[in-house]
Parts: sequence; C-alpha cells; structure tokens
Amino acid sequence: MKLSLPLSAFVLLSAVVAQGAALKPAVGVNERHRALLTENCEGCHGAEKQKGKFRVDDLSFALNDLQTAERWQKILDSLNSGEMPPEKEKQPGAKEKADFLEDLSHVMVAARRSLSDQHGVITLRRLNQREYRNTLRVLLGADMDVSELPSDIDTTRFDTVGAGLFMSGNQVEQYESIAMKALDEAFALHAVAGGQKRFRYEVEETNKKFKETIDTELEKHERASRWVKAVDEAASKPENAEIVAELRKNAKNDNFFRRSWNKIPGAPAPEEFGFTTSENNTDQANRAFARGPAVFAYQMRYLEQPALDTGAYLTISDQDGGLNSALFLNIPGDFPPGDYVIRVRAGVTPQATPERRFLDFGFKGRSRPVTSTHEVTGTMENPEIFEIPFHRTLAQRDQNAYRLYIREKGTADSNEQIKQKLDQGKKRNGVGPDFAIWVDWIEIERVPESETSTPPGIRALNIVLDDKTPAPKAPELRAALERFVIEAFRGNKPTERYMDRVVALYEGARADGSKHSVALKETLSVVLASPKFLYRAEPSPTEERRKLRGDEMATRLSYFLWGAPPDADLRALGESDELLQPRVLAQQTDRLVNDPRSMEFVKAFSRQWLNLDRLDFFQFSADLYPKFDFGTKWAARQEIYETLAYLLRENASVRDLLKADYVVINSLLANYYGIAGVKGDGFRKVPLPKDSPRGGLLGMAAVLAMGSNGEHTSPVERGAWVLRKLLNDPPPPAPANVPALTRLAGKVLTTRERISAHQEDAQCASCHRKIDPVGFGLENFDAVGLWRTEDSFQARDNDGKPLPNGKKTWVIDPSGAFHRGAAFRDFNEMRDVVASRTDAFARGITSSLIEYGLGRPCGFSDDELVESILQRAQKRDFGLREFVHALIQSEAFQIK
Amino acid sequence: MNTSLSRRHFLRSSSALIALPFLESIGFRRFASAAQVAANPKRLLFMGLGWGLTTETWFPDPKQAGADYEISKGLEPLARHKADFTVLQGLTHRFVNAGHCGSTFWLTGANQFAVPGKSFHNTISADQVAAEHFGLKTRFTSLQLDCGTYAGNSGHGPGLSLAWDAGGKPIAGQKTPVEAFHRLFSGENTPLEKRKALLKRRHSVLDTVLEDAHDLQRGLGKNDTAKLEEYFDGIRDIETRLSKDEQWLEIPRPKAPMAEPKPGLAGYEEIKLMYDIMVAALQTDSTRVIGYRQPVDTLLTSLDIKVAPHDMSHYHSTMAEKFDASQRRDVANSELLAGLIDKLKATKEADGSCLLDHTTIAFGTNTRTEHNGDNCPTLLAGHGAGLKMGQNLVLPKGTPLCNAWLTLLKGAGVPVERHGDSTGVIKELIA
Repeated sequence: MKLSLPLSAFVLLSAVVAQGAALKPAVGVNERHRALLTENCEGCHGAEKQKGKFRVDDLSFALNDLQTAERWQKILDSLNSGEMPPEKEKQPGAKEKADFLEDLSHVMVAARRSLSDQHGVITLRRLNQREYRNTLRVLLGADMDVSELPSDIDTTRFDTVGAGLFMSGNQVEQYESIAMKALDEAFALHAVAGGQKRFRYEVEETNKKFKETIDTELEKHERASRWVKAVDEAASKPENAEIVAELRKNAKNDNFFRRSWNKIPGAPAPEEFGFTTSENNTDQANRAFARGPAVFAYQMRYLEQPALDTGAYLTISDQDGGLNSALFLNIPGDFPPGDYVIRVRAGVTPQATPERRFLDFGFKGRSRPVTSTHEVTGTMENPEIFEIPFHRTLAQRDQNAYRLYIREKGTADSNEQIKQKLDQGKKRNGVGPDFAIWVDWIEIERVPESETSTPPGIRALNIVLDDKTPAPKAPELRAALERFVIEAFRGNKPTERYMDRVVALYEGARADGSKHSVALKETLSVVLASPKFLYRAEPSPTEERRKLRGDEMATRLSYFLWGAPPDADLRALGESDELLQPRVLAQQTDRLVNDPRSMEFVKAFSRQWLNLDRLDFFQFSADLYPKFDFGTKWAARQEIYETLAYLLRENASVRDLLKADYVVINSLLANYYGIAGVKGDGFRKVPLPKDSPRGGLLGMAAVLAMGSNGEHTSPVERGAWVLRKLLNDPPPPAPANVPALTRLAGKVLTTRERISAHQEDAQCASCHRKIDPVGFGLENFDAVGLWRTEDSFQARDNDGKPLPNGKKTWVIDPSGAFHRGAAFRDFNEMRDVVASRTDAFARGITSSLIEYGLGRPCGFSDDELVESILQRAQKRDFGLREFVHALIQSEAFQIK
Repeated sequence: MNTSLSRRHFLRSSSALIALPFLESIGFRRFASAAQVAANPKRLLFMGLGWGLTTETWFPDPKQAGADYEISKGLEPLARHKADFTVLQGLTHRFVNAGHCGSTFWLTGANQFAVPGKSFHNTISADQVAAEHFGLKTRFTSLQLDCGTYAGNSGHGPGLSLAWDAGGKPIAGQKTPVEAFHRLFSGENTPLEKRKALLKRRHSVLDTVLEDAHDLQRGLGKNDTAKLEEYFDGIRDIETRLSKDEQWLEIPRPKAPMAEPKPGLAGYEEIKLMYDIMVAALQTDSTRVIGYRQPVDTLLTSLDIKVAPHDMSHYHSTMAEKFDASQRRDVANSELLAGLIDKLKATKEADGSCLLDHTTIAFGTNTRTEHNGDNCPTLLAGHGAGLKMGQNLVLPKGTPLCNAWLTLLKGAGVPVERHGDSTGVIKELIA
C-alpha cells in the first residue's frame, strides 16, 4: 500500500478489523527525531523542570488522540516561531531542525486527516449553492441569481462535502424568496411559451448621427474661427494696442483674452456669428474654436471609411460608447423572458491584425463584465454570421436591464487599457486606432419553447397557472400540488399530513384575498424551502451501512455528473432498481458523461480541485500585460475546462495533463499562444509544433497566471501548486508566526536571489527547499503565461515610483533540482520529471474525485478504495472516464 | 392539532440554549419600547480587519506601557480620542495556526480540530454571547454587517460574518449599506391588520416545513440527525424572530436618523456609511450588538492602492510600496474609527451622556501581519464596559485573546464565566 507521505512519517496499520470495517491507521513521528527532543528540549521540559507545564519526555510518538496532537502542534508552533529553544540555549543543527520541521509538519497534516477521518460516513448533504441553482433551473426553467446564498466553498475542499454545508434561519427564508422569484419567472415563461420575436438592428443608423454631429461641430468651428479672426483683427489695430496690452497682461491665455472682446473697440460679438445660446456665448465660441478638424480627426477618418451605408465599424474611444466604441442592441420592451439567440453579421477590415479579429459580448453596459468573446471569421467582402445564446429573465426586465453590447475585444476592460490602445493607435498613424471590425447588423430572436421542453415542475402541476379562467377545484388542486411536491422531492412521496399543510397554505392565502396564481406561487415556494427538496436524504435509521435504493442511486449519480436532479430516463431506471445492475449503471454513467450537462461536473470539479478561483484574486495590469484582457482570461480558464472535458469524453489519459503534444484551444488562445491555423470559437484538439512549451497544465495560461499576483510571477505559489496538484505531495499549510525575512527589503536582487533567502532559516527551508526550485523551473513564463527569457526587478519608493539605479535585468535561469530528487536544466526537463510521476498525480485526482463525488473527506480509511480505483484506471492508461466509472462502480458509491 | 400549542411544545423540547421571550407575547402583548428603557443600555460593536495591519507602525512602543505613551503612526488619526481607547499587546489565539483567517475564530477562540471526525469546528462568538443577553430588549437581537465582496480577498477566512451561533454555525450578514439600512428602517408601509395576517401565515409556513423536517428526521441516523438539527435550529431562530416581530408589531419602526444610503459605494466610503448605520442602529436602540467584517480589497482600491491585499500583508519581502500601502490602510482604518467615535460622542442620550459612554468597540483581527496569529492587534474603545481606557496595555506574551473578550463581556454585564479558551479576566483592563 502506497501513501503520499514522506518516508519518515510512518503509518501503522492495525490489521485487526472486524466485519470489513475500514482500516484504522495511526500516524506517528519517526523515532529518529527523539534525539533532537532529548538533547534540545528535555532540559527544561522534562520530568523534573516541566517549564511552562509542558514536558516532552512522556510524549507519545504515535498521534492517536487530539491531546497528543495538540502537544506536538505546540512543539511545531514554537519551533516555527523561533520561540524555542530560547536563544541562549543549545540549538539543533540547521539541517537537523529543517528535517524535523518538515517531517513534523507533514505528520501534523496526516494526524489531522486521520483524526478527522469520517470512516466512510457521508454526512447528509444539502444542495449547495450551484446545485440549488441548477435544480431550480431544471425544475422550473428559471435561471436565478443565487449569489445571496452562502457560496459553500469555505470550510471544506469541495462544495459537495455535507459536513461543510450549513443551514440557518436566514437561509431558509432566502430559499423561500428565491423560489418565489423563480416561480414568477417560470409562470411568466409558461404564459408566453410559444411566443416568437425577432428584431434586427441595422447598425449603419449610427453613422448618420455621427455625420450630423461632426458636421454641426465643424460648422460651429468655422463660425468661431471667423469670430476669432475678427477679434484678432480688431486687436491688432494700432489704436487698440494699449488696451490690448493691458488685457493680455491679465489674461492667462487666448480664451481669457477673448472673454474681454467687448473692451476692444471694433471687435464683434460672438452672437453676430451665430452663437446665440442662453449661456455665455463667448465661452461657447471659444470652445467651438478649440474643437476643429484636428480634434475630430479620428471621427473624420471614420466617416471616410467604405461601406458606411450598410454597416458600421467598431472603434476605440474613451467615451462610453462614443463613436461606436461599442454597438448596443436595446431589447424591445415587449420581448418576454425566455431563450434567445443573438446574431451578429460582421467581417474584419484589411487593417485587422490577427489579434484584432475578436468581439467581446456583454450585457447592460460597455464597462460591464464580458460574458463571451468571439472570433469574427468573415471579411468585409464576405461577412459571416455568428450566434450567441442568451437567456432573458423577468428579473432583467424588471431591473430595466435591456442593453446588450458588442465591442472589439479588450478595448474597454479598464480606463488604463483604453488609454493604452488609443495612444498606440495615435502613435502609429497620428490619428487613432485603425478600424478592425465592420458590423452589418445585430439581431435578437426568441427561441420558442416546445411542448417537450416544458420544465418538469410546470408539467407536473398541469393546472391553470393564471387568473384568466376559474381556479381548479379542491381535489384537482391537491392532486396538482402533490405531483409538484413529488417532482421537487425527486420522486419521494410526501406524507398526507405534509400535503394537508401545503393545501392549507394555499387555502389560507386564498381566504386572505390572494388570487389563485399568487396563492399557488406562495405555496410552491414553501415546498421549495422544505427539507426534502433542500437535502438529499438517504435515510438509514439503524446506523448500519446499507445499499442505496435505485432512486437514491439515480440522485447520487446525476448530482455527481450534472450537479442537477436526474432526468426522467434516469429516474425511471432508478425507481425500477434496474440502475443497481452494474451494467446499467455503467451505461447510464456513459450517457450522463456524454451529455453536455456533464460540463457542470467538469467545471465545478476542476475549479475546486485546481483552485481556479485564484485567477480572480488579482487584476492583471493592462500596462504590463496588454494581451491578457478579459476575453483572453475567460478563454484561458475555459481551456482548463475544455481540456478536462476532452479527456473525459475521449477517455484520454490524465498523464496528458502533465505533458502532451496537443492542446485543446480555440482561435483566440491559438492567437495568444502563437499557434497558427486555428479558426473559430469552438475548442478543439490542436497538435503542437515541436518546440512549443505548451501541452499539459503547466503550459496553460490560466495555471501560470494563477501563480502570479497580476504583476509579477510567484515561484512560491507556482511551486506549491505543482506539489499540491500535480505531485500529490502538498506542503503543509503556511505556518503561523514564522519570523519575517526583512533583511532583503529594498535591495536590488533577482527573484531567485530574493527567494533563496528562504534557505537560511530552518523554519523556512523545511518547506521552501521543496517548493522554490519547482517555481524557478517555471520562470520562463511571465505573469500571464507568455514565454520570456529575461526578467527584471524595479525597486520602488513608497509611492511606487521607480528608484534611480533600482533596476536590474537578468537572463532567466530555470535550472534546479527537486528536493532529494532529479536535477533539471530547463522547463522541459522539469516538466519531464513531473510527467514521470503519473502515479502520484493519478492518486491525487482519485482522492479529489472521492471527496467531490462522495461528499466527504477522503481519509486514510479510503486507501483501499483509492487503490482499487487506481488499479482499474491504470489498466486503461489512466483514462479520465475510467476513474469516474471506477468510483461509481465502487461499493463506497453505492452504500449509505 | 392546535398549531401554536405544537410549536410551543417544539420550542420547549429544543435542546439548544436559546433565551426565548415569553410565549404569551404571541397575543401581541406590548413589550417595553426603546423609549421606555430606564437605564442607558450597554452596547457592543465588533469590527474585524481581516488581513491585519502593520506591526512596526500600528502598535505603540511596548516600552511605553501605561497611560503615558506616544501615539503610534498607524493610530495617529485617533490621537484626539486617546483617553477613550486602549491598545492591548500580547494577546494570542493559541489554536489558530493558519494564516488566512483573520475573522473565523477571532471572536470564538475555538480549535478548528477539536472534534474527532470533523475537519472544521467552531463555537459561539463573543458578540452572540452578548446578543443572547442584550438582544431580548431590542427589535433586532444583533446585527451582522459584512464586506460586500468575497471575504477571502479581505483575509477573513471561512464564515459569513464575524458571528457564529451557539452551535458554532456561521451567521450571515448584510452585505451593503443599502441592505443594512432597509433591514433596520424599512417595511412599515403595510397596514397593521395585514401584517398580523402575514405573521399568522408565516407560522403556517414554518409548521409546513417542520412537518416535512420531522418526516425526514424519522428515517435518519444519528449523524444525519445532527446535521438536520441545523434546519430545526434555523426554524427555531425564525420562530424567535417572529415572536419578537409580534411583540414589536404595534410599535412603529423608528424613523431613520440618516438618509437612505446610495447604492454602489465601495471601500472607504462604504465603511464610513456602515459606521453611520451602526450609530443609527444604536441611536434608535434597534439593536445593541453589531459585528462588522470590514472589506480590505475594496478599501485599498478606494485609496488608489494598487498592491493586492494578500501581497500587502507580506510587505517584509520588499517593503517599499507594499509597506507604504499597509500603513496607508492602517491610517485609513484609524481615520474611519476616529470618525465613528466622534459620532458616538456627538450622539446624546436622554440624560445628557453620550453613546460612547455606554458603548464598547472591539477593533482588531486574528492576523497581525503576514501569517502571524500571535500578538493579535486589539483595540478597545468606549466606556460602556467599565474598562480602563487611555492605556497602552502590554500583557504577558501569550495571554489568551479570549481573556479580553471575557473581560469585555463581564464588564458590559453579561453573566458569563468563561469564553473560548479564556483563563480569566484581564485585571489590568478593569477600571
């Protein structure tokens, strides 16, 4: 049996186990460290002195209980903080101390894991935030904002772990109120189910407006110029010299000077030149004079472009939406909620460089988040149409949110970015950024709901939902409510007493004067706050482990692979218990995996397994990394999901995540990585050129960007991530109270020089000697995952201003050696070492899958389970789907 | 079956320690209104700072222990209130050995690993201990305010606010000033009769979900029953609140002593507004216990600081702009706190004393700088708990942080003998 612990931490297996219950291992500190304690600690903390009421002489080296664990934790903490041994006392050798700290910190992690082992018991699981949202969507067809609910990602590694899924009174009420909104949405959707709507916006309309604006401005400028000329002429008359000199003296500039035109004999009033507003007309004329053709050069260039009669160009502007820096489609007010498709017909101009062929799509306003990014595959001569799915909700309509936008990718993520792109464009041609994308039209069309796509919750009700016809009679109503309850409870029949109360709620509301539709929604919202909807109960009153029933199995399977309730087919197989046959179970597993809904599993699992949330912790500086805009970041994250989805679909080996000769990308990322010949938004497998550093997680922009702070790379973050996620050798959590390294602050050093200071103190070295070299091996990737050969450091003052002589540039040295392991010269060699450890990686995936899939921590008692999954997966070259099959076919997945 | 009878039975059989207001109140008996409170009530405010602060410049010089100390750079904006606050040095939370949770155990003192078979455990937080005692007399038992963004970015760690209930479960908070304002001051437009009917319906709703919960429970083993207990606890909380709503039904909500906040504020201005809301809540005696998990990430953004929050707390590696950012953050926090103290001083009670005379503020975090959990920065302000203010109180290293909470709670009149891992009160802190 293999364990992912350093050799020095030993694990005893007491093999005497009754009735096949889980093995109970004990975790302990290696005896070889006893000398360190005896020599350095026992003097004060032995049987005699017992300083601070703490002794180490009677301390058990096996950590079988919390008390012992706490005592060892105290030793670890006081060594880490440098508090012990006291300065004047004898100190252990640096290496000896580092080794001890390394072992002890791992032993503590193992002890915590062992002591918190649930021994296979799955705690009652509540629907977590995303499962709840998915479940409402499936049941009612309503996509709700559930962000007010707890995100459920804090206290456990995965949001599926029952023990970490809390409940509170607040939450019960939130469920009820979200359900009420969802029912509003669902009823509204149902009322207009078959409705068709279409609206096309011919964007050339915008051009007329520009032309008018520019013409007006230029005409005003022409009048203002004549006025200025007349004032100047008057001012230049010799007889006015004295007055003019006096006025000039007091005026800061020409504008101020001209404000005193009426003191200059013979100077005309601006009103004579058509400036006749109720405001200060001198200022109006001054302003118009300042805004001449030079100011409108970019706009005038725009108006010179071809094909303005049939379409419009996307531009870059620092005014929100100014001069088509975004094109907006206003959804007509009478368009009901439902599924829509947005179509854009567009083409690139001859000026479009490869990176300027993309559109950002979003909702509400130009500065709002990008929801997707698309390649414009057509040209102006042969424009192409692409489609974007869009779901319109009642909530959006109520919030008056009806504005969709398209803009050129990465042209308005931040003010910093806009300025940068404007400056670049001006520098190139003196006027402004070239026009890269021409748009013919934007269109929105509603996709009508078909009979079969009526959501099951609504179908179960099967009664009148509005108030246009009389409300159903009592028996009919009760039957309808019961059908809904059964659907919501995933096939579980409610008790009569529960139904009595549900019906009474409806009747009570009616008696209080509510209309049928309102009373019905209020009643149903209570059902959707009831425990049998919110919890996935697998009752087992006798505490004995038992096999799951078919319907329970269906629920477990579909929440695992879809994060949503089972569909009708799966539920039928569950209810007939056919699903419990291994063959049927495997077939259904394949069916669920092959269904696009399994993307929910891929996303939720990989987001948490690989800690992808870190990608959102930092803002990536637009000045330093102009290429890593919103659209690229979105696609980079998508690459991870799409790669996992590919492995799952094709049952390809997880070793491809360590090293591969292909990537799964779309045209946007191909452009980012410099890979030629990829077209379109769809992600697909693309073979890599021989010399490419891509292929596998370590070459992915998202992974590398997570190992940075948006500005600099962090070899420590990256190294720790590799140990945690790829080598299944996680460093212990960063210890508290380690004395800070301040010695190097303000010095001009390379990254490696600065970080190497970790090796000086045993407390730091114990972990960093393992972590840092791996991080150095990745230094050829910058903070956004692009390849580089040089790096630099700029020392700064307190205001962030660069210090003179504070810059250092160096050629990156990626070489290093794994702690107690192989040496490598560069990234490729380092990746080869990582790739050679597929077994460890596969073990890590397995325990994460167990934790995610079973909804409980993976403890030592799961070693046998881990082993059996690995064995089966290995037979198929570690194909990802094989892991999933093996887990689902295991006993652990099939018992409560 | 008589609904209210069964509910009463349910409530009585609850094993959780919840101080229930007497049940006769279901008949809408009028409870003491805020205006009728005889003595000035005690109030407690807790403010959690997430990613800590700048050790070198926030703490006053430990060599200048006592009242005669020089105010530190990080506390500079508080100089005018020097007599009204005490800085405590040397407090430690002995169980916290993780670096990224400034708030999770800050008020609880729990050991995450205390329960075998569980990887996360927490216990009741000090504010909730106080709320159990003070909360009976006000419309809101306690108020939880929370940073609007992902709390992990502000270094708070797991949790939904600073508050953890009697079962060690996280309590959710109001995430924006607008939300908090509406919770306190809105919702009185519905006529009384209608509100009575609504309350009655709320009881029927709870009876319905309880029916389902009992049915579910019948099939569950011990472990799952314990988990489902959270649901029962939740319903019990709603029940308690409803019976409180009933008591308060005929007492009109206080008029808000402030304008409705504008939405969309973040960082510095948001914190300032939350402080205004805290004052408004105390002033109207809507609640007497408030906790606030303050934003750090948006505070930095609003101060035009570009350094990322977690990076900032690791300023030792480069000092320079990270160190500067950390110090500017401290000054901003102190400015905000000083502003709050100004307001508490300016708000007068009926007897001419001011709110600060009856309020105590606990301001700090479990994370000092970097991953350090020792010498937890703690500042207590106000005169509501009989604590000795105006001190630079340097305590023996390793004094449990919970000793400070215990002293605070006892001082404010909460009958409690221990809290978390407390070993006793801090005598030097008692006036």
